[in-house]
Amino acid sequence: MRPAVVVAAAVVVLATARLWRRHRAGSARVRTRRLRSARPSSQTRLVAAREIRERVRARAFHVVTAIVLAAVAAAIVIPALTRGTSRPERVGVVGSLSGAQRRAMTLAASSTGARLELAPEASLEAAVAALRRGRIDLALRGGREVLVDRAPAATDASTPARFVHALAADLGLEEAVAAAHLTPDQAARIAGARPLPIRGLAGAPPPATGSRGPSLVGVVIVFVMLSQYETWTLIGVMEEKSSRVAKVLLATVRPAQLLGGKVLGIGVVALAQASAILAFAFVLAEAVGSDLLRGTAPTMLAAALLWLVVGYAFYCWVYAAAGSLAERQDQIQTLALPLSLPMVFGYVMALTGAASGHASVLLEVLAYLPPTAPFAMPVLVALKAVSWWGFVGAVACSVVATVWVARLAATVYRRAVLRTGRRVRLGEVLGTRRGR
Amino acid sequence: MGGLLEVEGLTRRFGAVTALDGLSFAVPAGEVVGFLGPNGAGKTTTMRAVFGLAELDGGTVRWNGAPIGARERRRFGYMPEERGLYPGMAVRDHLEYLARLHGASREDAARGTRAWLERLGIAARAEDRVDSLSHGNQQRVQLAAALVHDPDLLVLDEPLAGLDPAGIEAVSAVLLDEARRGRCVLFSSHQLDLVEDLCERVVIIDHGRLVASGRVDDLATAGERRLVVRVEGDRQAAWVRGLPGVTLSEVEAGAARLVLDPAVDSDTVLRAAMAAGRVTEFALERRRLSEVFREALG
Repeated sequence: MRPAVVVAAAVVVLATARLWRRHRAGSARVRTRRLRSARPSSQTRLVAAREIRERVRARAFHVVTAIVLAAVAAAIVIPALTRGTSRPERVGVVGSLSGAQRRAMTLAASSTGARLELAPEASLEAAVAALRRGRIDLALRGGREVLVDRAPAATDASTPARFVHALAADLGLEEAVAAAHLTPDQAARIAGARPLPIRGLAGAPPPATGSRGPSLVGVVIVFVMLSQYETWTLIGVMEEKSSRVAKVLLATVRPAQLLGGKVLGIGVVALAQASAILAFAFVLAEAVGSDLLRGTAPTMLAAALLWLVVGYAFYCWVYAAAGSLAERQDQIQTLALPLSLPMVFGYVMALTGAASGHASVLLEVLAYLPPTAPFAMPVLVALKAVSWWGFVGAVACSVVATVWVARLAATVYRRAVLRTGRRVRLGEVLGTRRGR
Repeated sequence: MGGLLEVEGLTRRFGAVTALDGLSFAVPAGEVVGFLGPNGAGKTTTMRAVFGLAELDGGTVRWNGAPIGARERRRFGYMPEERGLYPGMAVRDHLEYLARLHGASREDAARGTRAWLERLGIAARAEDRVDSLSHGNQQRVQLAAALVHDPDLLVLDEPLAGLDPAGIEAVSAVLLDEARRGRCVLFSSHQLDLVEDLCERVVIIDHGRLVASGRVDDLATAGERRLVVRVEGDRQAAWVRGLPGVTLSEVEAGAARLVLDPAVDSDTVLRAAMAAGRVTEFALERRRLSEVFREALG
């Protein structure tokens, strides 16, 4: 999945650069006709810089960042600390084991951090019964087969799962070595050794199952942060209107510059905060040897970060336009509720998919719809239920929708932000003529 | 520095309401121009039109003979009727930010902010949040926001509203200084006595139309000539009766207010008064701006 993420990131960067060039070109045309030496980009930068400065200085930003960092630290450190006190892997042994096989078991245990406890079983039937009762975690039938109650998925990064896979591989190799002779062909047999088959008594789980913990964490982070940043945008625009400072600013800055600077500034803060939290999580997980960020987790979290950016880019325009229609807190609440419904729906469906470990058809559809894709697509990535081109296609859909939404939002903002004294209806601004 | 603001044929309708109806006037450099009119006359809409904040149905606003664009507006300073500042921002940061949006360098923005905070007596509050200041001090910050980038044109909507006498004096001094430095200054106010003291020129509008404009002195002395004459011992102004072309308007505490026909020479009136007794008062009466305003509005 990593190449897909890289390609998707490249597409987003290229699309952004293209949009930026078009914006610059459009600005240049306007400058030629109307502004000449005015520098809209520098004013947008100034607006964005003020937004960043004021947001980062705010106490609420520090409190929220501290709470999220503490939650991430707890999610990583507590399982790592309790891992040492977890119960050992109880292995039922049917028949006898050679010294080499015992060494292979010890090697598999040490390489995965598992503690080993052997229990002799009188027969295969007794071992199966013990497995079903949960008295043992797995059974070894001589050196030929590993039995478990439910076969772990290849992507499962938990210690028991990794121990089962390592044990099967090591014993398979040992068997190959024992069967080999010192001729080239025999050496080749050793080199080509494969793990023993793992037969689950209850059958294999669905093939798309991936690591659930990180995907749940990723979806929750995307939802919490997206909600926070979009609320900043909504309230920030409303406050500029209600405090009438928008009138002072728009006397020298064009509406598109003011709006663009605001969403850009908040977006930079959002990306920096999310990146810092992820970097903190990776460093801490590496330091304490956590399993949380192993397997597909890094790819999934990288996808979540990308979709946080894409989701912000889509929703920020919607919330900014809504903010320009209101000038009181109670009006904001009325406007925010319908805007949050697609986000909440996408979030709930993504959580459900992540928890079940199965990608439903609805979840796959939601992953391609711009309002719900930021939540659904990272889960599909975690479940390995999406191809790289599907991923890129979803990003492309969101980029196209974002351009369309941004244009509409800029129109609404331009026509509504100076209408003060009462809440402005959307129909009023869309029905009026064009302004500056 | 300086320039000429020209408003020509501005028209704006809001449904059935005509806010501006072919309004035209000019604001020359080096003068403080009072922009007067009753509520709803179209003053705020006109001022907003200068900054492109009001859509127009017709007419143009020109600066030095050319249409106004973003580059020109960066050299203008605006104080809207509804004050607008970020409540949670520090005063110094706020002013520097606005100066930079108008194109000032970082150094010039800092220098301008420092100078205006000193000049308006709020330097001690530079690091305080805007919303922690009193109404009067917020008003001063708002004025500083319009001035911090050293604009060529100042457009101030009710800059004196809500200020105490000291504040009015400080703001008035600033406006006069800016005009003396060659800036164009246009400001609206309902405090006509203050406008009369402060402005060389006024523009009076009603229902979006120009109803009077010109130098305050010219407007005050325009129209029918009036004299105030007091003759010792004649409290009823009996000497006036029989004077051709002279109408006695009223007698107040022995002072006769006379309205002279255009053909009447004031020397003739003076001689008649002196013949009646000792003249203790003889003055050409100036109309107050409030009278000019009332007459202009009909």
